[in-house]
Amino acid sequence: MTGSERILQIENLTKIYGKGESRTEALKGITFDVLKGEFLGIMGASGSGKTTLLNCIATMHRPTGGNIILNGEDISGFGGSALADYRGRKIGYLFQEFELLDNLTAEENIMLPLSLHGVTVKEAESDIRAISALLDISEVLDKFPSQMSGGQKQRVAAARALISNPDIVLADEPTGALDSKNSKILMDKLADVNRRQQKTIMMVTHDANAASYCSRILFIQDGCLFHELRRSMQTESVSAFYERIVSVMAQLGGGSANVL
Amino acid sequence: MFFKQVRRNSAKNRKGNGLFFGTLIIAIVAFYTLLSLGEQDVMRFLATIESDAVHKLLALLPAVYLVSLFFVFFLVYFACSYQTQRRQRELGMYLMLGMKRSRMFTLLFCETLWSSLVALFMGIFAALFLTEGISLATAKLVGLGIVGHRISFSLKAVFWTACGFVLVQLLSMFIICLKLGKKEPAEFLRPGAPEKQRQLTEGRSLLFFISGTGLLLAAYGLGIFRLRTLHFFVFLAVLVCGIAGTFLFYRGLGGFLGKVVRRKRSKAAGLSVFTARQIQEHVFSQHKSLAVSALLLLMAFSCIAYGAAMGLARTVSVRSADFSLFGEEPQIDRVLKQDGIRRLVKESYPMYLSMVKDEYFAGEKEALDLSGLGQALESIEDTENIVQNMHIEYVIAESSYNELLKAMGKEGIQLHGQEVALYTSMAGEGDFGTILKKAVEKKVSVGIRGKDYALLPALYYDNVVADRAITLSMALIVPDALFGELAREPEAYCRNVRLRDDVTQEPGLMQAVQKMDEKLAKTGIEYDSFLGGIGRNLFYTVSASYLTIYLGVLFLLISNTVLGLKFLIQHRQNKCRYRTLSMLGADTEAMCRSAKKQIQVFFLLVLTVASVSGAAAVVTMFTSFAKLPVGTSMWTAGLLAATAFVIFVIIELVYIGIVRRTAQREICSSIIIQ
Repeated sequence: MTGSERILQIENLTKIYGKGESRTEALKGITFDVLKGEFLGIMGASGSGKTTLLNCIATMHRPTGGNIILNGEDISGFGGSALADYRGRKIGYLFQEFELLDNLTAEENIMLPLSLHGVTVKEAESDIRAISALLDISEVLDKFPSQMSGGQKQRVAAARALISNPDIVLADEPTGALDSKNSKILMDKLADVNRRQQKTIMMVTHDANAASYCSRILFIQDGCLFHELRRSMQTESVSAFYERIVSVMAQLGGGSANVL
Repeated sequence: MFFKQVRRNSAKNRKGNGLFFGTLIIAIVAFYTLLSLGEQDVMRFLATIESDAVHKLLALLPAVYLVSLFFVFFLVYFACSYQTQRRQRELGMYLMLGMKRSRMFTLLFCETLWSSLVALFMGIFAALFLTEGISLATAKLVGLGIVGHRISFSLKAVFWTACGFVLVQLLSMFIICLKLGKKEPAEFLRPGAPEKQRQLTEGRSLLFFISGTGLLLAAYGLGIFRLRTLHFFVFLAVLVCGIAGTFLFYRGLGGFLGKVVRRKRSKAAGLSVFTARQIQEHVFSQHKSLAVSALLLLMAFSCIAYGAAMGLARTVSVRSADFSLFGEEPQIDRVLKQDGIRRLVKESYPMYLSMVKDEYFAGEKEALDLSGLGQALESIEDTENIVQNMHIEYVIAESSYNELLKAMGKEGIQLHGQEVALYTSMAGEGDFGTILKKAVEKKVSVGIRGKDYALLPALYYDNVVADRAITLSMALIVPDALFGELAREPEAYCRNVRLRDDVTQEPGLMQAVQKMDEKLAKTGIEYDSFLGGIGRNLFYTVSASYLTIYLGVLFLLISNTVLGLKFLIQHRQNKCRYRTLSMLGADTEAMCRSAKKQIQVFFLLVLTVASVSGAAAVVTMFTSFAKLPVGTSMWTAGLLAATAFVIFVIIELVYIGIVRRTAQREICSSIIIQ
């Protein structure tokens, strides 16, 4: 993490599902900032509201109240082309189940966010080569998702999230569908991107291992911010940070039984 | 509770799958119309004249009914599988909540039954209107004014329509339930995984594509140039090449499209690569459906073009004489003076028509010299056949032909001095009339007994007797005196009778002719009626065109519905892709445009192949085994085929519109923001 420029501000964010008796408060006025180049983790028990928070930022859900400000712009007022532009250029989204389009090759999948904004493969060729080399997927560019391993698929999805050089990458349980080996490869790559390109990443996860790559972790419980952990990037190793995360999780009474 | 659920679910299905439900109603209308053919006015009327032929036609109906059922089964099967696929999660939930499979299947069966009944009720109601309309329209088409029309309702047709439909629906549901029976609840609950992109090697794809195209071209070539030999093996070769070619073409088309995408993607922007890949995937996974639909559409196209050509070619609108009575003059007079008959008759006149005396055809030099006419004909293109077969054996007396024209309200002929006129009753047959007209306009003359007689520069073609089955390829209308000299039988050939206008207008021409027919039948006199000719024409119209058009429409509906449903099934399986696209920044409009393009191309892929095959089929059909009916030129057939094609395109557009709306609704529902 470097500098202190605020890239994302979440102010008093609330989200309520249903009406009357079925009314559920998923987010109860959350406020926090994300700084440029930060690798932020969001952790919490199932139903704590962490995915709702991510989906509100990704504009998949419309918040009931509060503000989401990305680079000084309040996204709650976005609609039509501004919304499409926000999704395609300002944020990159990494899904748990990859969500690659089965009928497009890896290259075509990676190109999609750019194509949607009028950029052709020719124009983006060098970017594609660079990002594929970084994520070690150069040899699968011409393959369809059904011809790739899970790890390759998620790295292609990561390339797709990064190709349009978004202000922030939102990742929803990116290691959720991967085995431990592929999870490690993916997290190494994401950490590498964060470090080298100063790319801001906000990741929701259950996995303490994955979370240990983050520079800061926010714990959410019942729709409220509950705790915060910061890693000293210079002095603290990933494994040491992992120990702290696990102990916080245990102290919070979540534990793996509650979290998973 | 159970039946309430059945009713509610079935209403939801109908609403969610309007395309199928609408098609089902149209199919029911078609079924009832076919099955009630025997009860319809036109057929009841025809049965009195051409009972044998009508019975033969009616005996053919069960076979047509079974063939239709066979095709409708596929339509219903695809629609039911689409419907159950839409409800997989719901069905999985039923199972997880403890519903027995047997009860779930009973629920599905009852819903199907209820939907069938609703469709039947609406379809038969619509069919009644249609059949009445057809009765009136067909009669109008052939120049009959049926005023005394009787409303017909065939219980038997309703019974068989209902039986066929319920059976087909239940059978489809049974097969689907057999498949569902093997699924675990988790498979129901998990959204259908989209089919994997199957990749043929480019070489294989290209091989399929090229061999398919080659076989199709071979089928067209064989059909157009060789099928007229009517050799069984040629017929078989056309069939095999055509069918195999269509299947191989679509099998290889996916790979071909993939190649195009790869070549063009470097410059592509927006959703164009996604759209192209979607189309390619549809072609890959639906290549058999595409081939079947293209073949069905080809059959529909051929049937409708043939049926329409047959139907319109037979239509007769000009009525010259209503009855022709044969026999001795006194006997005819006696009959016409009878009370009941006299009141119906407006006028009667003898028709002097006879073969030319034998002596004019004996000897080396023909007494009738047609060389002038022959030369005039030769100067017109494509008349070798007419010139070779040109001969005149009949003469008609000027006065009786003028009587005929007068009765029809037309102006009579004036033959001055050495003038004669050319007559043919086959003016409407292809270009024959036009060619003859062009020839006589060249001011030609014919030689009779060494003297030259100028032909009037006009062609006369009004039927000289009531029955249109009696045709004269060519005859000369000659002055009465000359007729006396030339005619082998100088007495009147028959007495033509025309009915009074008030009689034909009041109860309708058909009924007036029928009334007179009954009275004449009692007198024992030999006669022909306008009715007989009309009846025969009408029968051909109905039997040839009605059945082919019926089958054509059915094939058209099935083809389009199957295509639409197949698209929607796959679209539904892949709808999560639109959510991903939306997350990647695609706006809803762009996605809807992409879906629209996919649908258009998907339908167009079928329509294009079917149109090319259809054009080849129409040309083949009308130049070889299915001779154009007498009275239809190739142009008429071509025009009708073109009209049928335009109607096809309109129907395709309607289907595309319906499928597009459904697909776009699904896109919007999958990306809705909470």
